[in-house]
Amino acid sequence: MLKSASSLPHKAKQGSLKNDYQGPLASGLNRRAFLKTSTAIALLAGLPACKPTQDVTKSNNNPAPSATTNKDIPASVFSDYQKKVLAQVQMQLLPDDGDGPSAQDINGVDYLEWAMTDQQNIQDGDPDFIRKGIGWLDDLAVQTKGEVFIQLDQTNQHNIIEKIAGSSAGENWLSLLMYYLTEALLLDPVYGGNPDQIGWNWLEHQAGFPRPTSETTYRDFE
Amino acid sequence: MKNQPTTTKDFDICIIGSGAGGGPIAYELAQAGYRVVVLEKGGWFDEADFKKDEMLSRRNIFRSKIADERHVLEEPDGEDWSSHNTSEFWGGNIVGGASNFMSGYFHRLKPEDFRLLSEFGAIEGANIVDWPITYNDLEPYYTKVEQLIGVSGKIVKHPHLEPRSTADYPFPPTAEHPVSAWFDKAANELGLHPLPMARAILSTPYNQRNSCEYSGYCGSYGCHSGAKGSSRAALLDHVKTKNNFQLMTQAKAYQINTDQKGNASSVDYYDNAGSSHRITAKVVTVACYAIESSRLLLSSTGAKHPDGIGNRYQQIGKNLHCCAGGTGHGIFDLTQLTSQQADALKVRGPFFNRALQDWYFIDDKPVFGKRVKGGTIDFVFDPPSPTADANSLKWDDNNNLLWGSAFKQRLKSHFTQSRDFKFEVFCDWLPTDNCHVSLDANEKDKWGSAVARVKVGFHPHDLKVAQYIVDQGVNVMKKMGAQKYYGNAFTSPTSNLIAGGLRFGKDPKTSALDPDCRVHGTDNIFVTDGSFMPNGGSITPTFTIYANAFRVADKIKAQLGKV
Ligand SMILES: Cc1cc2nc3c(=O)[nH]c(=O)nc-3n(C[C@H](O)[C@H](O)[C@H](O)COP(=O)(O)OP(=O)(O)OC[C@H]3O[C@@H](n4cnc5c(N)ncnc54)[C@H](O)[C@@H]3O)c2cc1C
Ligand code: SF4
Repeated sequence: MLKSASSLPHKAKQGSLKNDYQGPLASGLNRRAFLKTSTAIALLAGLPACKPTQDVTKSNNNPAPSATTNKDIPASVFSDYQKKVLAQVQMQLLPDDGDGPSAQDINGVDYLEWAMTDQQNIQDGDPDFIRKGIGWLDDLAVQTKGEVFIQLDQTNQHNIIEKIAGSSAGENWLSLLMYYLTEALLLDPVYGGNPDQIGWNWLEHQAGFPRPTSETTYRDFE
Repeated sequence: MKNQPTTTKDFDICIIGSGAGGGPIAYELAQAGYRVVVLEKGGWFDEADFKKDEMLSRRNIFRSKIADERHVLEEPDGEDWSSHNTSEFWGGNIVGGASNFMSGYFHRLKPEDFRLLSEFGAIEGANIVDWPITYNDLEPYYTKVEQLIGVSGKIVKHPHLEPRSTADYPFPPTAEHPVSAWFDKAANELGLHPLPMARAILSTPYNQRNSCEYSGYCGSYGCHSGAKGSSRAALLDHVKTKNNFQLMTQAKAYQINTDQKGNASSVDYYDNAGSSHRITAKVVTVACYAIESSRLLLSSTGAKHPDGIGNRYQQIGKNLHCCAGGTGHGIFDLTQLTSQQADALKVRGPFFNRALQDWYFIDDKPVFGKRVKGGTIDFVFDPPSPTADANSLKWDDNNNLLWGSAFKQRLKSHFTQSRDFKFEVFCDWLPTDNCHVSLDANEKDKWGSAVARVKVGFHPHDLKVAQYIVDQGVNVMKKMGAQKYYGNAFTSPTSNLIAGGLRFGKDPKTSALDPDCRVHGTDNIFVTDGSFMPNGGSITPTFTIYANAFRVADKIKAQLGKV
């Protein structure tokens, strides 16, 4: 089989592993960019293949401020409030629309919290970027609708998501949440998402064998 | 790092790298009774460790990590060159190397591949040469690989079938996907010669290895049954308990030391804790995968080799090649097929296993002006990676993020209402002065050694040939009844199918190795991975890497003499 080593951004769009493309650094995306809703940004917004990542080799020499090491993983990555916001944002991204599982059905928030304890995700600065995005989201909700995101009705929440999807940083943030939702939907249930193979069943995906067990997950090899 | 070796051990032969290039040497010399040591920088994992878990590849679990070591890839970017760090060339860094994760599509080279220059003539800007050996020299070793590594298939007569000393493969073909019959019909109607593809996968048990269990996830995934012909399962597992054999895991070779005559005297390696150790041996074999073998020779300087071992004429790292070619797709809309046809397409497990070699040589004067070397088309279903697929579907055709019900519908339609049937085109990537390995001036690995800088310029002729064959593949997809069909020739390097860099030849001024794959200017340093190949042929290389390594094993045994 052919595997391409190229990772030029324009070629990497179809790539699927976040390693494929070292996109705009998560830490370099700021609040202003997040709130900006100009369509002119669509070009840049279109670039990230999968998830905004940092150049790991660089961050090793000069750790990004957001990078945490194993020992200081907090007991809970997100506060209860942050989890509430994330749950509702996830339900906009993968809604309960009568066709296939919703974010809640696939344990979206629990999975996300667990994924934030993965060393690579920590190094990529994801927990921090996701937390920051929640703040920006609420800022925008208050600015434009007068209330924080979780106080808004479905239509207004939808509007807000639509709005931030139009800015590069906003789209990056949503794209990162989608990245983890697809993991929760389609990774082996051993990782906490895809309960009872709900995602596989919906998409008629036949798993390979032997499957990982709780003693043989990827973290047991790290 | 502590550079002073803390221990020294002596062996007859020290083999660096345990993949497809290293395994045959280790196996043959250990079986013959020589004292063998293999240095492998990864760990020893086996059938019990290999699960069908997408996270293993998402986290590069069995591959070197970019933070530890990497390559600097320099590639054409429009008129310019751009470079960046990559870990894509690490295809497998455990005992058995990338051969644990290959799909095992096995084709032999053809006699003409050994004499590309005299058969097809020079092409301006390309460093094409004839090989110093012929197909006949390698044929017995292809036959040996078919038995020992385990190649399953069925010989079908076709215009470009290479000569064989045996009538057929030793193992019958692996189980076939129901859609293979659609392909045969379409290809026959087009006047082509559909070929069952040989696989380095056991279809029946052999040598304490199980036959394939059709797990549905093969290429990119390790094999739990032992059927896949990795260097570990097929070779190293069978000598590992011998008293005269030792395989050091987590042993990263960083320097081949040479004596006053320029011959190898010892090899230094780091263990897992970063301590240095030394192996002395009569013969040293390098098989680190094409790029890394050049790198090790370049970085091993000595009194006789001030620019790296064998680099007197600046041939080390030169004439690297990837696999030119392209890919194409036939998308079948399941809603437009009968339920029987749709069910057939949905089957996962058995292999599709079809190839076309009708254009291995192209005689189309209006297009090329003369007969030229063409390529092979392999038709395949990609190994499943549902999470990665779903993640890539979040971008719509205008590169905007899709979310909500629109995203869900896209997922559903992709996974349940269509099947993407793919073809891969393999052509020669002509060696040029713009495709080579050197030591990067800035980047160092975690042990403090310079990493390899890989420049991957391509020749425009490759693109023309590839496009020609891609177009033929698209025609087949159309004929098969795909609703959408398209293909693209590419110029980006195929990270898993790199060869060359240390090509063999008679003249030290134009080659790095002699015809026995001994580094020019040395008596006892051999290179046995794909680095030796002056051109890759229009196929995947591993069958040839294995065969050549068995050939060189015989040369080394002859050189070492009686045990
Ligand atoms: C996903 C995938 C699919 C593939 N499919 C096919 C296919 O269908 N058909 C085909 O023909 N080929 C295929 N290949 C290619 C095939 O795997 C390679 O051609 C083959 O493994 C190359 O053999 P090698 O010995 O050169 O390198 P490897 O098999 O990679 O072995 C090199 C070994 O050397 C070790 N090493 C490197 N440097 C050092 C050092 N300094 N010290 C100690 N150890 C070191 C590495 O860790 C590694 O284990 C595929 C590869 C991949 C990744
Ligand atoms: S399909 Fe067969 S050869 Fe491939 S990994 Fe599964 S059992 Fe092994």
